[in-house]
Amino acid sequence: MRFNILKRFYAIVFLTLVVIISAGLLSLTYSLTAEQIKLRQHEQFLGYLAEMFPEMTNFEYNDELYYVYDGALLLGYAFTAGKAGYSGDINIMVGLSDKETVKGVLIISQTETPGIGTRILEEPFISQFAGMNVNDLKLRSEGGQADTITGATVSSKAVIEAISQAAVEKLAGINGQDE
Amino acid sequence: MGKWFKEFAKGLVVSNPIFVLALGLCPSLAVTNSLDNALGMSAAVIFVLLCSNVLVALIRTWVASIVRIPVFIVIIATFVTMVSLTFEAYVPALYESLGIYLPLIVVNCIILGRAEAFASRNRLSLAVADALGMGLGFMLALIIIAVIRETLGSGSLSLFEHVLFSLPVLKEQPVSLFLLPAGAFLVIGLLLAAFRRMGLIKNE
Repeated sequence: MRFNILKRFYAIVFLTLVVIISAGLLSLTYSLTAEQIKLRQHEQFLGYLAEMFPEMTNFEYNDELYYVYDGALLLGYAFTAGKAGYSGDINIMVGLSDKETVKGVLIISQTETPGIGTRILEEPFISQFAGMNVNDLKLRSEGGQADTITGATVSSKAVIEAISQAAVEKLAGINGQDE
Repeated sequence: MGKWFKEFAKGLVVSNPIFVLALGLCPSLAVTNSLDNALGMSAAVIFVLLCSNVLVALIRTWVASIVRIPVFIVIIATFVTMVSLTFEAYVPALYESLGIYLPLIVVNCIILGRAEAFASRNRLSLAVADALGMGLGFMLALIIIAVIRETLGSGSLSLFEHVLFSLPVLKEQPVSLFLLPAGAFLVIGLLLAAFRRMGLIKNE
């Protein structure tokens, strides 16, 4: 009996030790790669910004809002939005050509069901936002102009809600600065 | 040395993890739609398999047998996460296209299977031979499947964005079915049947 308890105690100590060493190794790898990963995500985001505003020469980042310029000319604004979709978060970049008009919407990352939820990446859903007034960024049933996708209601609704919520928050930021 | 070579060679053909043991079919169905993906996946699997086999063989006399499976899983998961972070940082394109199948190496039965069935019962040098053999056997199988699928499914074959060859008619009218999961099942099934007919695979 005594032997048995010792044996079990040893097993617990051994597993704990393995887990501690593993955690150490993982945090080491994480700290070695974190900077590079962040850099890459930043580059990727810049790529999306350039895709949305092809004439962009420089931009300013202030209070979670990107001010995109061609020289001194203000081309528009961009911000990110995110919400949980059907399976995991959907991250979106929204571009505005002025304070009221949407320039376009890009899905940065998503993990929706392939072939069903991933239709949020496709036409005509994703292009419907271009040119839309920010006040119309709501479901039709709620008085807006945005359509969901039949069969992918959860995914497409998440995109629309993410954009409209973020637009309300970020626009308050733009308007607040004017005053 | 003869024994070392025997353990190394068995993974390549006689006990090939995909074609004979039929282990780890899920990632091999999913990532063999292009040669690049197959090579990236194989590299990750070989690294994890080698590291976990070495470590398991080193600690095999100290592991309390009632916790050996959790210990193996923690070891494997640690190496997989290290690979995954490294891929994300330095080969983002590959990281994106492997997607969920990279972290899923943790539950790849080849790796846990080799740790439990081989590395935990054999000395270090043999565990290395087993890991290299099984890993290269996995890579060989993935390359064969990927070459067939990419060639038929897109009409050309490329390696690290460098086009190796392009077929005249298939390029315009590729059989895109072969890039889909159903195509993977067909290719693996037909390959298994062909290898068995040729006598490369034998029932034990």
